Order: sequence, then structure tokens, then C-alpha cells
Amino acid sequence: MERVIMGNHAASYGAQLARAQVIAAYPITPQTQIIEMLSEFCADGRLNAKFITVESEHSAMAATIGAATAGARTFTATSSHGLALMHEMLHWAAGARLPIVMAEVNRAMGPGWSIWTDQNDSLSQRDTGWMQVYCESNQEVLDSVIQGYKIAETVLLPLMIVIDAFVLSHTSEAVDIPDIATVDRFLPPRKAQYKLDVTTPHAFGGLVTPSHYMEMRYKMQKAMEEALGVMEDVDREFQQIFGRSYGLLEEYRMDDAEVVLVTSGTITSTAREVIDSLREEGQRIGLLKMRVFRPFPTERARNALACAQKIAVIDRNISFGQGGIFAQEVRSALYDAGTRTPLFNFIVGLGGRDVTPTSLRNIATFIFEHETPPEDIIWWEVNK
Amino acid sequence: MKDHPAAITEINLAHEAEMPPLPMSIGTTLVNKTGTWRYFRPFYEDKTPPCNNACPAGEDIVGYLALLKEGRYEEAWRLLTQENPFPGVCGRVCPHPCESECNRIELGGAVAIHTLERFLAGEAAARKLSFVAAQRIDEEPVVVIGAGPAGLACAYHLALWGHPVTVYEAAAKPGGMMRLIPPYRLPAHVLDREIANIEALGVRILTGQRLGGNLSWGALQHYQAVFLAVGQSRSRKLGIAGEKAEGVLSGIDFLARIERGEAVRLGRRVAIIGGGNTAMDAARTARRSGAEVTILYRRSRKEMPAAEAEITEAEEEGIAIHYLTAPVKIWTENSRVKELECIKMALGEPDASGRPRPVPLPGSEHRIPVDTILPALGQEADLSFLDETIQIAQGQIATDSATVTSRQGVFAGGDVATGYGTVAHAIGSGKRAALAIHHYLRGESLESFPPLSQAVHRAQKSLSPTVVRLENLNQDRLTFSARPSQRRLDAQTRQQSFDEVNLPLDEFTVRFEAERCFSCGICNACDTCLIHCPDVAIKRDGLGRYRIDYDYCKGCNICAVECPRDAMSTEEESKWKE
Repeated sequence: MERVIMGNHAASYGAQLARAQVIAAYPITPQTQIIEMLSEFCADGRLNAKFITVESEHSAMAATIGAATAGARTFTATSSHGLALMHEMLHWAAGARLPIVMAEVNRAMGPGWSIWTDQNDSLSQRDTGWMQVYCESNQEVLDSVIQGYKIAETVLLPLMIVIDAFVLSHTSEAVDIPDIATVDRFLPPRKAQYKLDVTTPHAFGGLVTPSHYMEMRYKMQKAMEEALGVMEDVDREFQQIFGRSYGLLEEYRMDDAEVVLVTSGTITSTAREVIDSLREEGQRIGLLKMRVFRPFPTERARNALACAQKIAVIDRNISFGQGGIFAQEVRSALYDAGTRTPLFNFIVGLGGRDVTPTSLRNIATFIFEHETPPEDIIWWEVNK
Repeated sequence: MKDHPAAITEINLAHEAEMPPLPMSIGTTLVNKTGTWRYFRPFYEDKTPPCNNACPAGEDIVGYLALLKEGRYEEAWRLLTQENPFPGVCGRVCPHPCESECNRIELGGAVAIHTLERFLAGEAAARKLSFVAAQRIDEEPVVVIGAGPAGLACAYHLALWGHPVTVYEAAAKPGGMMRLIPPYRLPAHVLDREIANIEALGVRILTGQRLGGNLSWGALQHYQAVFLAVGQSRSRKLGIAGEKAEGVLSGIDFLARIERGEAVRLGRRVAIIGGGNTAMDAARTARRSGAEVTILYRRSRKEMPAAEAEITEAEEEGIAIHYLTAPVKIWTENSRVKELECIKMALGEPDASGRPRPVPLPGSEHRIPVDTILPALGQEADLSFLDETIQIAQGQIATDSATVTSRQGVFAGGDVATGYGTVAHAIGSGKRAALAIHHYLRGESLESFPPLSQAVHRAQKSLSPTVVRLENLNQDRLTFSARPSQRRLDAQTRQQSFDEVNLPLDEFTVRFEAERCFSCGICNACDTCLIHCPDVAIKRDGLGRYRIDYDYCKGCNICAVECPRDAMSTEEESKWKE
């Protein structure tokens, strides 16, 4: 059934169709609509789940962890400072190998106080052991939640669905809401191998001595590596049933492209338009959409960019003292390529500043005019 | 789950790959007896509910409400009547001090305990339930003087213990003051049935036998124990001129004559003097007999001792109440009452009773034309039948807390010894006497009786004496629920009928009402402790009783804190108490 819904509600529908059993959440703009709709689903019986209202995001994740430890399929959602407050528990969820799926609406960190989008909140959680999927459309949000459970429950790592504030979270689009029986076929109920059970008591999360700790971390990394393949398998199976697929990343009009823009989130959609019009003008330009950020699809990214002569990574984030975070990751992926393709790192749209087609067209023009980046970080449309 | 594993499993993993990917114990954790960490120890301790504590008859109210709400009416009635054989009477006429203490008051109104008690009495009558007689343990009967609530309660409890009992009653029918309660409050068949239940235990009731009259002390000489429960039968006098005129009749005598079915010529205008329940009974009875009734009371409504409902219902029935009015003189014509001269009063400083003293207002004298005057100024004990071996104090028979008088083998209770003036108190007093006599006949000590302000109990329940108040309950878990309103016969019908005014609640409402009970201080197996124990250290058996596994209880005390009804307590572990 196709309906016009907001990105936030696409996440709610995703959790409902996945038959999340426990939802523990705390409201925060611009995420609140996600859990509001889920609370309505729980209240009116459209979702048979325990909805736990908590006093903070830290508790939201703690409760989610508890429920997931007991074997339940769990969901929560947060944003920005809420995600930051969860930080300790994010490590816990990953270290405890719990397949939690969370919607995270990208909102800039304060101060200056902001409710608008950028990626610093989610990217700050890069090293917690959570998988991260950056979405471009409302349909992708819904589909990624459903896929997310299958991936997370296979590799036993939590997964974060990342949604741009307002540009995606509050924007309505036509979304195909699949029939739940079909989703059931794709996503059977969770079967937890390790879980809290009073009939066979085990202790969870206890002290681990140096003799075993490192092995556990090794296994997490191995699970991340395994996840790359699992994600592609799940995506393929999803396509067979639902007719849609997203890949770890997406190459758009990359045939013979000399210049490649690398984007994530909703900037990708804007870039598609700009690429189309530049192609009409005869420019050999393509687009690489980075969808999965953790695990980072190093090999896929390296292959996609193998033939590019210039690369522009558009970062709606900044790692202070270094630069754009996607740029670092892409640069690192290319290290083994043996080439030294010039890589332009543009910092754009922080704190929700609009990134328009003109912005991206001007970036393209800038690259056409420069052989190499004039500086390590190119701050775009900023009053210096 | 086994509480204690027979042996701890040895776990040897050959390979790192066999380890789970997450930090979890491989074997069970039962080997780790975390109870050793405990500093505070939670434990189950039932405490005294405020209603139980307030009941002069010592009923286990919370206990029978719990059974009632489950529809276990016979068990509920048996638990109730273990302490009080008169639930039909008390469910109707007791001023229910239990409800005044109910912790529900601010959360929808007190549980309507009296209605539930009445319901159980009705169920017992409908099912023809009777008390179970005990094996006789004595040959010689105990003598009870007076078949009022105290005497009959005493006889009942003694009979339950297996003592033969003979009750002597001066009046023609047993019941004492209960007999004089008008039928619109207490239908006679309710009282008759509950007395018949006691008689069915083998208690002999001999009526028309007045001690000091046709029954001599000498006739009682050979009995080992005598319980005096003659009540307060003598009406207080007005002490004004004209009191002996024809047409002046005490409220009690009036009610007694009506009860006997005698015709009482009231005339058209009846004045009642007094503000207590007897005044209300006399007024409402006169009203039902067709008279125009006026109550004269010397203080204001606020000080009126009658139950609030009684006053309201009297007013609804068209009875006029003149407050701050006192009689001064009765004017007669042909030695019959003609007019009542009254004076208006003002309220002054508090007197010995704590109430403001009424002060006459000079010049406010006025006359009210009347045909009959019914003074109801309270009663006092008629102690003329006593000899000097029995000591008297403040117009009552002097007793200790075990109802023992100054004469060997003679006990006294009820209004003649306590003057509390309610049926429930008299029932409690009779039970106390029965317990004392039971001990006495077996040569046991009578020293451990609680003071008269506390009820005695047959049930051997180990309750903490601590009374649970609202602040002791976990108020986060208490929700508002409204008390059902009392349905009454309409005021118009009431003026022409002696039918019962208060209508019973239907079974559904009764069950719902019993559900409103918080079960203060008494575990009702709600599972809150079980659910909240983070260590799964609380176990529940098939009977809804809990046990804490102290091998694993870490002493977080969440169970005791979360308990909605204060049925758990905590104490410092003895090993730390140094």
C-alpha cells in the first residue's frame, strides 16, 4: 500500500512491520514523531509491543538492552544530545552483542543550540560498535529498518538507521508500506541464542579478564567484517521479495566519470539532479552515495572510485582538528589503491544550513577549475 | 530451577571459538551466593490494618473482605463471626469506626465495610449457615446475666470453646438494647436469626428472669463463673417540673412498648428531648406512627451526638429540630401534658466533655404546645441489684482489663461496666469476658489482657501491632476509586412505613467494593515483590505465599519498598549489629 508519509513515520512503520516487541524511548526533537506513532500503534493494538516510557535516553537504551538480553526484538529512536547521552549504553549494546535497531535523526550538537541537521551526532558514535546506515529517502528508511533487524540478528551487532533532521524526518514522500505477511516471510521472529532465562541462569556483562577481553573485541571486528556480506545478501533477498535494493553504496552515472561527488544522506538526492544537468551539458561527472558507514565498505568504495580523476567528498560534519569524517574514511580506503587521486573535502550545511543544487553545481565547477585541492578542508558557503 | 544445584558443573572449553561472543557466564550463577552481600534483610511481616484496629468487636475486616471479593462468602462469614456473632446487626447499626480509619478515605472514600458485613450476614441467612458447636469441655454452665450484645457475645464465645452457658434475661425477649432499635434500621428477623444461631450452639436463654428480682443471688451460688452484662437500663431524668405528668414517657420506654406491639397514645404533637441516637430512634418511630415530631436539643447541630445519617434522615422525614433549646417546665391540664416551656441557649466555654457548655438566654422563654414528651437524655446503669461485695466506680461496676470484678468468680462487661454505648463495644467486651472466664475456669492467668481501648481476638494471628496508615502505603501504587452511594428508601415512603431505610447493595457492587480494600498491612499475594526482585530471589508457592531465598537476596529491599501495602519490613542483618 502506497501512502504519503514523513520520514519519521517511515521509521515507525518499519518497526511495526518488523514486529518490534519492546520499545523504550524518550522524546527529543526531531525524532519524537517516530515514537509517538509507535506509542499509538501499541495503544490501538496495531503493534503488540511493550512500550516503556523512560526518564532519559540513557535509560531508553538501558531498557532496550535489558529487553534485547531477554531475547526480545527491540527498537528505539533518538537524536543528537539524546544519542550523546546514550553513549555509554551504545558501547554496552554492541559489547553485549545485542541486535537492537535504532532510528537516529541527525541533528546538530549544541551549543549553539540547534535542532537542524548535520551528522556530527551519529558520526561521534562511530567507534561504539554500531552499524550505521545513512538514508536518502523515506522508502529507504522503512526498508532499512526491516533489513536492519535481519542483518543485526545475523551478526549480533546493533544497527543505527540515520535520518536527516527535517529534510527527511519531516518531509512527506510516497512510501510503499509492504504487507506485514510479506515482511513476516522475509523477517521471521528473533531467535536469540544467548538470552536471560530464569530456567537456566547465566550472568551477563560481568568482569572479563585480560585473558579474554581482547578476543571479544576481535570477534566484534570479525562480525563487522561479516556484516558487509550479510548486508548484501539481505539486500538481495529483500529485492527478490519487495523489488527494491540499496547496496552498501550506490554508484550513479559513474560510467566514464572523471569527477566523482561522494555524498551521504539527503544531499545525495540534490546531487542526483545536479549530476543529471551537468551530464546533459556534457560533463563527465558521477555520484557515489555512501549508504553504509559502519562497517565501512572499503573495497566497494575503492572499486567505485578506481577510475576517477578527481574526487569531491561532501561532508555535512567535521572532526575538529582533522576534517570531514567521510573524507577521512574514503581517503583511507583509497590508500591501498596505489593511486593518489586528488580528493577535495568540502564541509557543507552544518547546523542545517541549506545545501542547494546551486551549492553542489558550484562545487562541481570549483573542481573542474582546480587540478588539486587548494586546501585540506574547503569550507563551502561559509562567511570566514 | 533448582534452588541449589546438586553439583557445580565443571566447564572446560578447549577453544576460544567455543566461547560465546558476549560476556556471559557459561554455567549457572547459582554457585555465586550473593546473599552474603546483604546488609539489610527484607522479610514478610503482616501488620495491623487500621480498620481491624478500630473495630471494637475485633473483627478481621481485611481478612473477610479478601475472601468476599473472591466470592468465598461462607468462608468470609465464618472468619467474620469467629470474632462477632452479630454481623447482621452490626452491618446495620454500628457507627463503623473502621470506616473512619480507612486509608481509602482520600482516594474515593472509605470502603463501605458495614455494607459488606451486612451482605455476608444476608448470604449466611440465605444459605442457612450455622455455627459449629464444639465438644463440651465442662459440665457446669457459666451464668450470664443479661441477653444483650455483651451477654450474648460472651455466651457465644464460651459455647464455641465448649462451655455450657445459661443466660438470664429480665425482658420477655433476648436482645437487650438491640431489641429496641426500630425495625426501619434493624428488622427484627435479623436479630432473631443471629440470636437463634447462638442458641443453636446449646446456649440456654431464660427470659423474664431479673437478678435481684425473681432471680436471687443465692440461686447463682453454685456456679463457678457469672458474667454480669445488664447494660444501662435506666433513663436519665429531665429534672424539671411536670415530669411525672401523663404524656411524658422516656424514649427507651416508648421504643420498648412499640417493640412489644403495645398501642401508645401519642396525640398529634410529639416533642423529643435530646440529640443522641435514641432521640432519633424515638423521633422517627413517632413520625412513622403519624405524629408531628419536634426534637429539642440544647446545643447546635455540630455537637449533636447522633450519627450524621440519622439526623439527615430524620430531617428528610419531616422532623423539625430546634437547636439551642432546652426544656424548663412542663405545663399540664388535667394532669396531662399540654405545653412545654423552653428557653433558648447560647454556647459558652467548653465543659468537662469538651463540648461548649449551653448557657440559657434570659427572657427567651417560650411555650410549645405538645401532646407527648419523649425525653432521651441517655441511660445509666441500674445497680440496685448488687450487694456490697461488688465494687462500683463512677456509676458502673468496677472491673480490671480482664473484666474481673471485686467478687471471686464474677465478671462484668458491656455498658454496665464500660459505658461505651455501642453494640460493637458490648460485643467486644462480651468476648473479652468469655476469654477471661475460659482462662479462669482452667486456672490460667488473667494478666495479659490488653487495655479496654483495644479489642481482644479469638484468632491466633501473628500480626505486628504496628497500625498501617496511609503514609506507610506505597502511594504510587494506589489509584482512586469511588465508594458507591448508599441507596435509601425515599423519604415519603419512610414516613408511613417501618420498612428498612438502607437498601442492600447488589452482589456485583459488593464484590467491587471489597476490591477497593487496599489490604493495608496484610499480604494479599499481589506479586509486586516477586516481580520487582532483581535477583529472582523471591519464590511463590501454590497458596500465594512467598519465600525469600536468602542465599541470593542481596538486600536491595526493592521488594519491601515496592510492596503496596506495607506487608514487608526490613532489618539490619544480625551479623552487622555489633
